[in-house]
Amino acid sequence: MTAILSVKGAVKTFGAVEALRGVDLRIAPGEIHAVCGDNGAGKSTLIKLVSGVEQPDAGTIRLRGEPIAFASPHQALEAGIATIYQDLGLAPRMTIYQNIFMGSELERRLLGLKYLDKLAMREESRAWLDRLGIDVTSVDTPVENLSGGQRQAVAICRALRWNAEVIIMDEPTAALGVRETEHVLDLIRMLKQQGTTVVVVSHNMTHVAALADRATILRSGRTQTELSLDGVTPETLSRLILSGAAA
Amino acid sequence: MRRFVAAYGTALAGLAIFVFLLLVARNFATAANLLNVLKHTSFLAILSVGFTFALITAELDLSFAGLCSLAAVVTGGLVHGGTYWPLAVATGLAIGIAGGLLNGILVTRLKVPSLIATLGTASIATGLAFMITRGVAFVGRWDDEFLALARGKVAGIPTLTLFMAAVVGLGWLVTRHSRLGIHMIATGEAEEEARRAGVATRRMKVIGLTVSGAMAGVAAVLLVANLSSAAPQMAGDYLLNAIAAVLLGMTMFEPGRPNVAGSFTGALIIAMLANGLVLMGAPYYIQDIMLGVIVIGSVSVSASVLKKAAFSI
Ligand SMILES: Nc1ncnc2c1ncn2[C@@H]1O[C@H](COP(=O)(O)OP(=O)(O)OP(=O)(O)O)[C@@H](O)[C@H]1O
Ligand SMILES: [Mg+2]
Repeated sequence: MTAILSVKGAVKTFGAVEALRGVDLRIAPGEIHAVCGDNGAGKSTLIKLVSGVEQPDAGTIRLRGEPIAFASPHQALEAGIATIYQDLGLAPRMTIYQNIFMGSELERRLLGLKYLDKLAMREESRAWLDRLGIDVTSVDTPVENLSGGQRQAVAICRALRWNAEVIIMDEPTAALGVRETEHVLDLIRMLKQQGTTVVVVSHNMTHVAALADRATILRSGRTQTELSLDGVTPETLSRLILSGAAA
Repeated sequence: MRRFVAAYGTALAGLAIFVFLLLVARNFATAANLLNVLKHTSFLAILSVGFTFALITAELDLSFAGLCSLAAVVTGGLVHGGTYWPLAVATGLAIGIAGGLLNGILVTRLKVPSLIATLGTASIATGLAFMITRGVAFVGRWDDEFLALARGKVAGIPTLTLFMAAVVGLGWLVTRHSRLGIHMIATGEAEEEARRAGVATRRMKVIGLTVSGAMAGVAAVLLVANLSSAAPQMAGDYLLNAIAAVLLGMTMFEPGRPNVAGSFTGALIIAMLANGLVLMGAPYYIQDIMLGVIVIGSVSVSASVLKKAAFSI
């Protein structure tokens, strides 16, 4: 397997805290890959390295085999890695289409003057939402009026708009109810069907077992195991995370 | 239906007040009086659009009236002293822009909350205005071309109205139809999220506060040309009037968000009410009470951006 995204020997310290002490991660193209581990294991820090928020002290990150170093989240985005944090990064009182295009609005020219191409942004937003099977009455709806799952979809649309090949989601279902959670899991499956690679950080082993193809388990800043999830039960996963030993 | 009332209720109430005054207030409906209302609206609307730009990015500008007075006495003083009037006008505009830019730098670089920073610049500007005039006013018979800026007519339309239309129209286009406008709105609505999405939020705040200062400069030049005199504090009354217009505007069109169309309509309603109250023989202090009620009333029914701005101190 050639990994689409890989991390080798990543080390990251914050002052005296060794958040990562040698992490390996290999993401295969088109898979759903879960990153698991107990609180403080280093999951979020690892995500920050591959999304350009933080830079590793040691170790290499490769995208399609090429070593890369992201100085900013924007560079990671342009390279095709989009990260959706738990807070989603949406402006609640702005509309769906304004959120999807925030920071990368479409414009037209009239007599040399640029103005917002609202029509195109509305149509394109509608098309992205259709692709994810999201039914909203209007893309002019403020995001605050949407359900948690729909908001997640808006955040995903924004990531897709950057032509992201890899979408990373940190705890995408943490704040959601049962039905909304199902909805988001379906969204992630749909992304996979459409060829997007998804990396999910999750504490919920039932979701991980049901959703992901493979998982990487972190423990105290190190990669403890990388395993295929075929036939692995949530209980086995939990034991692996807690005990550090395979059942 | 509820959304319609939320978006247009205040504007319809304004229309009802207009009709009421037409029918009830003696002399309200005369051409001379309506032109007078329009004139007062012009100054108010120009300053209100400036304040709107600052408030859209969730920053308060309490200095625009002080800057306006300062720019007015400098412009007036220069014209009075015989300076070529376009140069005096340019200086007045430059003072407004520089003051706004200073506010922007204080807020975004030195992290002084805008309420405090602009209160400070307001006081400095007012002090400077008194210093320049030594407390009195510049009054004179000034260049007709200069005075025509505010008193002239083009194709039968007062120049003041044209300047206001240009400011309101441009302001509306920028805020509703340009990338700059949507970036300013995103900055005010969700600064951190906008910044992460690649919006230059600090620059947006500097631009918002600078536009507010620039509009103070424009209003200053027009005020001076209209009155053919310049006094420190001459724009003082506009502080609360313009703020009230913008807050009232936040109950219209895009409820809860400062918006140019709302600010303009708010300015129109306030100028009309002030005029109508005088015509109906209401004592002068009623206007202060009215402004207070409008300011508090508007913010309590909507104005979440403003509540956020005030909380961030
Ligand atoms: N900016 C920081 N400064 C100091 N220490 C940090 C910083 N970020 C993370 N850490 C520390 O690094 C370790 C790993 O943190 P990280 O957030 O990556 O864990 P996590 O696996 O995401 O945990 P959780 O499941 O609780 O989200 C923790 O001990 C944390 O306190
Ligand atoms: Mg975490």
